[in-house]
Amino acid sequence: MKMTGEYRIAAPRNRVWDAINDPEILQHCIPGCEAITRNTPTNWTARVTAKVGPVKARFQGNIRLEDLDPPSSCRIVGEGSGGAAGFARGEATVQLDADGTDATVLRYTAQAQVGGKLAQIGSRLIDSFAQRYADDFFAQLAAILGGERDLAVAAAVQPEAPAPSAPHVPADAEPGAAVTRDDRPDASFPASAAKRFDSQSFTIVVLSLLLVFMTVMYALKP
Amino acid sequence: MTPFVYHRPTQLADALALLRDEQARPIAGGMTLIPTLKQGLAQPAALVDLAGIDVLYGIRLADGVIEIGAMTRHYDVATSPLVIAHLPGLADLAGQIGDLQVRNRGTIGGSVANNDPAADYPAAVLALCAEVVTDRRSISADAFFTGMFETALEPGEIVTAVRFPAPRRCAYAKFANPVSGYALAGVFVGVHAEGTRVAVTGAGPCVFRASAIEAVLARDPAAASFDAALLGPDGLASDLHASAAYRAQLARVLAARAVARLT
Amino acid sequence: MLRFGVNVGAKFGIGQAVRRAEDRRFVAGSGRYVGDIVLPGMAHAVVVYSQHAHGMIRSIDTSRASAMPGVIAVLTGADAVADGIGGLPPYFMPADSGGPPGYRTIRPILVADRVRCIGDRIAVVIAESERQARDAAAAIDVDIAPLPAVVSPDAAAAPGAPLVWDDCPGNACFTLAFGDVAATEAAFARAAHVVALTIHNNRISANSIEPRCAVGCFDPATAGFVLHTSSQNPHGVRKVLAQSVLHVPENDIRVISPDVGGGFGMKADAYPEDAIVLWAARRLGRPVKWVGTRSEALMGDNHGRDQTADAALALDEHGRALGLRLTARHALGAYVASATVAPITFAMRMLPGVYDIPAVAVRTTATFTNCSPTGPYRGAGRPEACFALERLMDMAARAIGIDRVDIRRRNLISADQMPYTTAVGVTYDSGDFGAMMDRCLSLADWSGFPERQRQTEAKGWLRGRAVTSYLESAGVFNDRMELRFDPEGNVTILAGTHSHGQGHATVFPQLIHEWLGLPYDKIKYIQGDTDKVAFGRGTYAARSSMLAGTALHAAAQDAIAKGRTMAAQLLDADIDDIMFADGQYSVGQGNRTIGFADVVKAFYRPIGVPGGLSLGLTTIGTAGGQSPNFPNGAHVCEVEVDPATGAIHIDRYVVVDDVGRILNPMICEGQIVGGIAQGLGQALLEAIVYDPDSGQLLSGSFSDYGMPRPDTMPLHIESELAEIPCKTNVLGVKGVGESGTIAAPPTLVNAVLDALWPLGVTDIAMPLTPARVWTAIDQASKRGAA
Repeated sequence: MKMTGEYRIAAPRNRVWDAINDPEILQHCIPGCEAITRNTPTNWTARVTAKVGPVKARFQGNIRLEDLDPPSSCRIVGEGSGGAAGFARGEATVQLDADGTDATVLRYTAQAQVGGKLAQIGSRLIDSFAQRYADDFFAQLAAILGGERDLAVAAAVQPEAPAPSAPHVPADAEPGAAVTRDDRPDASFPASAAKRFDSQSFTIVVLSLLLVFMTVMYALKP
Repeated sequence: MTPFVYHRPTQLADALALLRDEQARPIAGGMTLIPTLKQGLAQPAALVDLAGIDVLYGIRLADGVIEIGAMTRHYDVATSPLVIAHLPGLADLAGQIGDLQVRNRGTIGGSVANNDPAADYPAAVLALCAEVVTDRRSISADAFFTGMFETALEPGEIVTAVRFPAPRRCAYAKFANPVSGYALAGVFVGVHAEGTRVAVTGAGPCVFRASAIEAVLARDPAAASFDAALLGPDGLASDLHASAAYRAQLARVLAARAVARLT
Repeated sequence: MLRFGVNVGAKFGIGQAVRRAEDRRFVAGSGRYVGDIVLPGMAHAVVVYSQHAHGMIRSIDTSRASAMPGVIAVLTGADAVADGIGGLPPYFMPADSGGPPGYRTIRPILVADRVRCIGDRIAVVIAESERQARDAAAAIDVDIAPLPAVVSPDAAAAPGAPLVWDDCPGNACFTLAFGDVAATEAAFARAAHVVALTIHNNRISANSIEPRCAVGCFDPATAGFVLHTSSQNPHGVRKVLAQSVLHVPENDIRVISPDVGGGFGMKADAYPEDAIVLWAARRLGRPVKWVGTRSEALMGDNHGRDQTADAALALDEHGRALGLRLTARHALGAYVASATVAPITFAMRMLPGVYDIPAVAVRTTATFTNCSPTGPYRGAGRPEACFALERLMDMAARAIGIDRVDIRRRNLISADQMPYTTAVGVTYDSGDFGAMMDRCLSLADWSGFPERQRQTEAKGWLRGRAVTSYLESAGVFNDRMELRFDPEGNVTILAGTHSHGQGHATVFPQLIHEWLGLPYDKIKYIQGDTDKVAFGRGTYAARSSMLAGTALHAAAQDAIAKGRTMAAQLLDADIDDIMFADGQYSVGQGNRTIGFADVVKAFYRPIGVPGGLSLGLTTIGTAGGQSPNFPNGAHVCEVEVDPATGAIHIDRYVVVDDVGRILNPMICEGQIVGGIAQGLGQALLEAIVYDPDSGQLLSGSFSDYGMPRPDTMPLHIESELAEIPCKTNVLGVKGVGESGTIAAPPTLVNAVLDALWPLGVTDIAMPLTPARVWTAIDQASKRGAA
């Protein structure tokens, strides 16, 4: 399965780059993402519970970062395992281009492979799900970065995605923008975007893509 | 299959109380859920079987609205004199779901809540302007089906009935995948006082209305065919069984056949 | 004089449509399958299969699984290696019978290092219950470093393709060639017409209604193994397990194949699970049971077909065939398994079929791919041959502009050419192919087609038809049957063959009833147990009627001969004066007679068994070494196609079969209709689909693998039998088990292409799903518009 996508985000490239360095933001963009942890500078682990229709499966993903060219592109290779449910492997190239001073175009090309039971009994749904998860992810990202404060709208795209286990309260958040625990991403996240600059950001973008593939699900027929 | 607790409450309130547990899942026939459990692809701590709740059964007509209880089986919908008289397209649809075993186990509420992209009922619900009644509210069909396997239902919320306002006429045309019996495409046409609605299932990631075809029917209610431009492959599903282009073709052909069946 | 219909013998005798003796217990639920077996202390095995088509195993973490409730043991390939467990070789290679050398593989029962297909076995969990084993199997973490995979035979042969076996270049295991290349090239050079096409015989799965199962036992006191397995060939399984896997004497293993719910060739070989349950039983000291699921069957059973071929036919200006050429690649999957060399060979050797073609050159390369192994599947090579040939015949008729029936009449081998030897050296003993075709056309009302076509077109559909002929080669190897008489004069048949749907428990007693005159309902039938049946080769390749029938005939003749000696004693007559007829020995004009059962009783007298005769009566017959027989016939199919949706409706299907001497017409018809169902399944729906890039299996359940169902089939298949006795076996029988499967695919495809011919559609790859049919129409219309 090959996927490509292009998203225009109403935020300058540096801001996009910075924002997606924040694992909490990305965690909110990935449906069902419970945790992202950093093992080494170029090796990351994420835990996702994917829930689609009747299916609920927990995935563990590992990511390797290659060809890093900040702040414009990188290539990520990774895989995620859902145990007996199957696995996903893939690689993705992500490119950020400034579109004027106030917007950024994010393009990705990805190749993914879904394997094991998911492929064997869910093949009719693979492509549609991959596309839907990609759309959900980038819609969420664009909504957050594009300054749409009404994140409930973005969150509604994934109404059944479990919320993070605990709401993230950014250290530098304005008091008035404190998190309201409502199973939804915190509206203050854009303000919390980290200023640091390292390989983490693209790692997580592509980790997200991989999780898109990983969470490709199926529904059994009677 | 991991172990789970099995509840079979007889009161709706008891079921809802049990479903407040996030790890509990309702089962309303189990035509999808049971195979999923057997494959180990879901591990609920508890199943709450809605089959013992009497108020979830039955087909009633009141004020021009046919209300079908959520646990009503496909077979009962297909053979109900009320449905045949007022919603002949729905009876026809229910009689084409799966096979006889499925029609005797599967329920309208289970199918609607599951919102499989190739399920039959969502097309009827959408084309007939039905209301999906839950334990706490009533949701219009337009707002109910939100995406692939996704609905407007909140956690712990269950469908209790579906209310179909009787249309002037209605018809369903389905092309079943010869492999699985699921709809490669299925088109339900409902003619209402407010206009004609055309809902397509099986062809895309989620049931949808073919608005361009609806527009043609507004001008020409007896249109015999629909041009390729009215429903193209963009956004439709493609898999090992069929391309998006083929599904678009089927949807157009089936729309015409459903319209022809209206008379 | 050719007769259509059946020559009927005695009641319950040969030719009678005797109801199947086995069906009462099957339909009443009292059949005894391997899955029904429950033994004291029995543990349950669940196998972990590779999720990767190709890769190196980096690690297998069994620690979580081992600690789970009920888990008794978790075994991996390393354990098998440590225990000296071997692997599964092919039954035979071409080199074993003087053919070219090839790359011989051994399939490990658990792979320790490199997985080569989805479904390679990696580990096994043995637990107190199947559920516990399944849960623990899901907790085994297998870390595999993926390697590039290749799944189609053409891709596997391409330069630079990933190698399934590093030391087998081009993934080419062996190449077989038959015929005369120079003569064939000369025929093509002088031909007035040449037609050519490329075909793919889709990879399909047998899908026996009973998935494979096995129960292994080990008795440490005797060092004896018992394996209950759902197999077509228990002695074959015993040999492989003893010699190649467990390295024990064959008589240390008892293999029992009780009731078996279908095999179709797929169950003709030992599988890793058969070995795993025996090995585990020995390690654990407990019986171990494995029952496959449907998804495991689709993934892990040997598949059928998967051949691509370039075929061409050269003809003169009158449509007479001059030469036939075919170059093929037949996929092996990741291992050379079972008797897969047989279908590969048959697909070449049987290519000329029913036609008189002077020059033939065929060549095939058996090619490794990262897929489950292929093996024999009902028809086994003959469907591939028939498909190429009959597609070419229709193409040739259209290219030359002659009728499709006429071109066949001009090329069919005639009855007076028998015996006929083909250009690849196969000799047919008998057959009247033209008569079969004519009868089939007549039954199908071929001449009434135009009116039916008008009716179809009036509703906006298209109608097409096809007639094809097929020829099968039936009856490989040899076999052995035993008659064991008891002191009451009853007889038990101990069969070397193995019925798993064929009705042998009905038909073989019919033969004995006819020959020995013993009451039909007193004849007992035993099969499928290597401790009861001394030896046998099982059932596959439509072999049992000829080989078991001939062997049974020999055993019966021996019993009659021994009984004659006894009867002479009992009747106090000269042995040369004893006659045997209708179950009675008699002397002179029949005033002194004794029944066969009474003669048998005399063999069991406590005193007084005459000198030269044994105590008791057991006779053994063997058969083998004869020419195979050549069942043949014609199929007619008429279809309606909805051009808007690609839907195909089979309006009529008529088949006429020359099955030689008919033993039980009802069972023959059941075999033929069932075979047609499987052939139509391949043509219309069935396909094992692997992702071409990743090698992942995409058709792993019946939601995605299309089985033919009643609504796939025509309402009625009209079947008529013809008896043209085979001249090379004493019964005159011809096999019937595979016939329907052979001709159904080309008949269906040719009929659909005939319907779509006006739209410019010339080819559709099987299976002809509605989506493929419509896509072909759509593409043809775009070509036409361009």
